[in-house]
Amino acid sequence: MIEFNNVSKIYQSGTHALKNINIKIDDGEFVFIVGSSGAGKSTFLKLIMHEETPTSGDIIINDISLADLKRKDVPYLRRMMGIVFQDFRLIDKMTVYENVAFAMRCIGAHPAMIKKRVQYILKLVGLSDKMKSRPSELSGGEQQRVSLARALVNNPSIIIADEPTGNIDPEMSYEILDLLSEINKHGTTVIIVTHEQELVTVFGKRIVEIKDGCVLSDTSLNRAVELDDVDDFFFG
Amino acid sequence: MKGVKKRFRLSTVLYLLKEGTKNIWNNRSMSLASIGVLVSCLLLTGAATLISLNVKDVVKSIGDKNIVYVYLNDDVSKLEAIALGQEIKKVPNISECVFFSKDDAIKQYQESLGEIFNEMTGKSNPLPNAYHISITDLSKYKETVSKLQAINGVNKISNRSDVAEKLTKLDRLVTSAGVWIIIILGLISLFIISNTIRMTMYARRFEISIMKSVGATDLFVRIPFVIEGMVMGLISGVISSLALMFLYDGIMAAVNNIVSFKWISFSSVYGAVLVIFIIAGILIGAAGGFISIGKYLKKEGGEILGW
Repeated sequence: MIEFNNVSKIYQSGTHALKNINIKIDDGEFVFIVGSSGAGKSTFLKLIMHEETPTSGDIIINDISLADLKRKDVPYLRRMMGIVFQDFRLIDKMTVYENVAFAMRCIGAHPAMIKKRVQYILKLVGLSDKMKSRPSELSGGEQQRVSLARALVNNPSIIIADEPTGNIDPEMSYEILDLLSEINKHGTTVIIVTHEQELVTVFGKRIVEIKDGCVLSDTSLNRAVELDDVDDFFFG
Repeated sequence: MKGVKKRFRLSTVLYLLKEGTKNIWNNRSMSLASIGVLVSCLLLTGAATLISLNVKDVVKSIGDKNIVYVYLNDDVSKLEAIALGQEIKKVPNISECVFFSKDDAIKQYQESLGEIFNEMTGKSNPLPNAYHISITDLSKYKETVSKLQAINGVNKISNRSDVAEKLTKLDRLVTSAGVWIIIILGLISLFIISNTIRMTMYARRFEISIMKSVGATDLFVRIPFVIEGMVMGLISGVISSLALMFLYDGIMAAVNNIVSFKWISFSSVYGAVLVIFIIAGILIGAAGGFISIGKYLKKEGGEILGW
């Protein structure tokens, strides 16, 4: 569970990025954080990842208060999360397999476990046949799937995707969001930050809209989304 | 954080060792520059140390030849003089004490100056019995001389305190210059190697940002860079000790062609030079790697990438 209690963030430059935010995201939820550029979405993510600390208020992740978190424990907090970046952040001198395995090596996983898990995850994201390819040889959508595989490989309880569809075409966007939806069905909390408001409405998930550092709306649509709606949006 | 396993597996240690070594090859131009600089610094340090050792050796040999003459009173018989010798030997800071009788002294004059001294033998010998003494530590020259002077039966002591003082000063100068050269060149090496590793790190900032985002610990991120520095230090240590051997032998041969000089043989110090260079190289490399990554570890996310 992620809880933001009266969280505000003011940068040294004086920018008031977040103003008294109160959000609670339960385990296994699928949440879209939407807002225009400069609304405070990135700050929201940075606070969850503990890349920034709040100026006031408290953030609690899986019963851990980030205010009490020691610097040496930050890596262990991050192991609870899998991050998907808009620009994929793949290492081009490594193959697809190595890029995904790298995330496991970084946390000291056993080599046999790395081999087994990476193969499984790459199969899950549909990239078994691209294991030996370099990221530059893949399409945008495939690169994002590698990024997603890397985020998933350490079996995190939370997946955070920062504009995951920002650099890919609508068809690929659908595939990525569909994949994230499937992952969510297995109990993983999914938080997607995006500025594409139209895209999120067709998925029928909880939407938190941030504007000028404040929560403008927090809606759980709770409507059964017709498959036709999704198809219409992505494929016209 | 409670309940989290924080130990490194052997496979992780081996992976980090491999990564550190691989970094050297992947960034070979920068590594080569780094090794070159470290070799130069070690070479200069080694050369300065060897010069210092040679000068100290010369100073020591001059010091050894710095014999002090202790003249005994005229009324001291040969037998009494030998007993006095035992007392002289008890004075601290004396390495050698040789009796030089008045007969030996006149004989020496006769040999060098001729017949004029032929009459001055036996009871007509005006020279006193004496002891030729070598002092161990020239810096305590005056103190030793005054102790000798205090012995009953000792008449006069040849005072060469000016020479002793000069030799002591030269010895101190050489020692402190050697130490400063080592410190300064060591710091230069550290600065350059840490900058080279910082460049390696800049080239790998993308990987570092990913490492941090997936939960790699500071130690995990740091180790390959420390290993990179240590391996570069090891290579530099071996190369510079070999280079110093060839350089020293070459200079020694060239100088000996012009003037005969008793050098310290390199083979007698090679083992020590190799070990010291390797240890110094590894320590400087490790420190360079450790220092340079520190700044990056404090950065987060986009900051690492310079965004």
